[in-house]
Amino acid sequence: MLFAHGFGCDQNMWRFVAPAFQSDFRTVLFDHVGSGRSDLSAYEPAKYASLRGYADDLVEIGRELGLRDAVFVGHSVSCMIGVLAAIKAPDLFSQLVLVCPSPRYIDDVGYRGGFTAADIDELLVSLADNYMGWSAAMAPAIMGNPEHPELGQELTESFCRTDPEIARAFARATFTSDNRADLPKVSARTLILQCLDDVIAPQEVGEYVHRAIAGSELVILDATGHCPNLSAPRQVVAAMRPFVDNLA
Amino acid sequence: MFENAPCALLSLDARGYIVRTNRALTAWTGYAPETIAGKRFLELLSVSGRIFHETHFVPLLRMHGSADEIALDLVRADGTHLPVLVNAVEERDGAGELCSIRVAIFKATERRRYERELVAAQSEARMLQGQLEIANVALERKLGEERDLGRLREEFIAVLGHDLRNPLASTRSGARLLAREVSSERATVILTHMEASTVRMSALIDNVLDFARGRLGGGITLDLAASQPLEPVLRQVVDELRYGTGREILTDFALTEPVACDHQRIAQLVSNLLGNALTHGAEDQPISMTARTDSGVLSISVANGGTPISPSAMEHLFQPFFRGGIQPSKQGLGLGLHIASEIAKAHRGTLVAQSSSSETRFTFSMPLTDIGAEEHDG
Repeated sequence: MLFAHGFGCDQNMWRFVAPAFQSDFRTVLFDHVGSGRSDLSAYEPAKYASLRGYADDLVEIGRELGLRDAVFVGHSVSCMIGVLAAIKAPDLFSQLVLVCPSPRYIDDVGYRGGFTAADIDELLVSLADNYMGWSAAMAPAIMGNPEHPELGQELTESFCRTDPEIARAFARATFTSDNRADLPKVSARTLILQCLDDVIAPQEVGEYVHRAIAGSELVILDATGHCPNLSAPRQVVAAMRPFVDNLA
Repeated sequence: MFENAPCALLSLDARGYIVRTNRALTAWTGYAPETIAGKRFLELLSVSGRIFHETHFVPLLRMHGSADEIALDLVRADGTHLPVLVNAVEERDGAGELCSIRVAIFKATERRRYERELVAAQSEARMLQGQLEIANVALERKLGEERDLGRLREEFIAVLGHDLRNPLASTRSGARLLAREVSSERATVILTHMEASTVRMSALIDNVLDFARGRLGGGITLDLAASQPLEPVLRQVVDELRYGTGREILTDFALTEPVACDHQRIAQLVSNLLGNALTHGAEDQPISMTARTDSGVLSISVANGGTPISPSAMEHLFQPFFRGGIQPSKQGLGLGLHIASEIAKAHRGTLVAQSSSSETRFTFSMPLTDIGAEEHDG
């Protein structure tokens, strides 16, 4: 079971979900190049200007590990990265779990992504103009968390820390992507997890993905926001369980 | 305290909905208290702020239990933005369940302006650095081109000098052959001068070639010959010049010890010194040359009378292409003394000039010890 994190943070996003599957699956977590504690020297601006570059990495990881018919679990933008990888290498994943997916963030004729083109322009300008607010100044003082003593300090040290230039490029690749045409090409069994009140991937976007991927299942979680893997991990695990057990 | 705090305070439920707020927030944003209650906190934010809230703020808060100094923009009722800094802390019950989130908001207009200026200054510095790098690259390229051109010129001189040698040698042997056949005294004198001129030209070409080789990295190489006596070599140089110019050259040789030197090079050195004396010395005064070995030292000196060398010219005497303040008719390339001093250095010797109203004297001195062995010792 391969877990991929979304825009903003790193593999720690799966801290409360992945352990639930460790007894039944070999779980694999990684940081996208440019995020978390990845090797920043491997970052190539041209390659990572589109989600395809990230998808190629995913296929490479799968090949390196010799994965066949594995379960892919992606959050946010990594859902589409996983979709692209699954189309490119159909033997890698037999099941996709897409947590808060969006194939296109900007509204289009007959499609509501949740953002106008001007909104995304504002986002990219704010990243360029005030990237200190997005990254450098954003790095929090590292402090112990009495509520979550299981989180080792070193594990969360790089959490949400990103090189400003890379954060900007990743945001551009993410929020200007349009993978609607790729969805019907997915042949793997697919589970879509959708939150209530998700401003980044609204419910109708989840429903769009559900309609576009033949045979997919859609589960609406009783959770708000875009990060149920952090805010409602038990619900995420509960929704995934029957889907992945079906396989075994 | 909550109501009248000098910062905006919010109390959110576990899902991020606003439960309670204070006067500062309603005053800053222009929203009525009843409008704000029941909104989600992120609804108060700009679009990029909302995305940031979901992708950074919430994960940070969840992971660390608190988040400090998060830069966000509030959107006021009139649509304008208010830059703020946000601190937040989670509250959990005994079972570890999230109950509420407490948020404190501080105005950060000035700070944001300062940050923007910093970012602008940073990007300007980057741009200037980029320009500097481009200028440096251009300069490097230009320097490289100049270097290549200089090298090409020196190579050209080397090839030209080399190519001049053969026709010059033919001219010289032609003049010699003719000298045996002609009977008129005038023709004999002319042929003698012609031969002397070819000797001088050959010496000049040797200097040019040595100079070019030196510049091209070859330097002056020595072909040491200790077993052969040096005196006949020196005499031949003197004879050739004496014969060709008809000038008086007095010699005093006392070479009693073998000298480990390159004979052709020493001959070239002497030829250059004599050539210099013949060109610049007073024509009505003899040139005197001494060569001796004494106390482990070979010394050869050449002296002439005439106008002394000025102290300022003295400083640059051995630099290439230096021609002093001399009359145009006496101009040469200015390589003779430079090459002579290079030959002296190659022999671990020195070439020293002294000049007074009575005479100008160049003295070459070198140790008699084996140069090769010394070099080996380092």
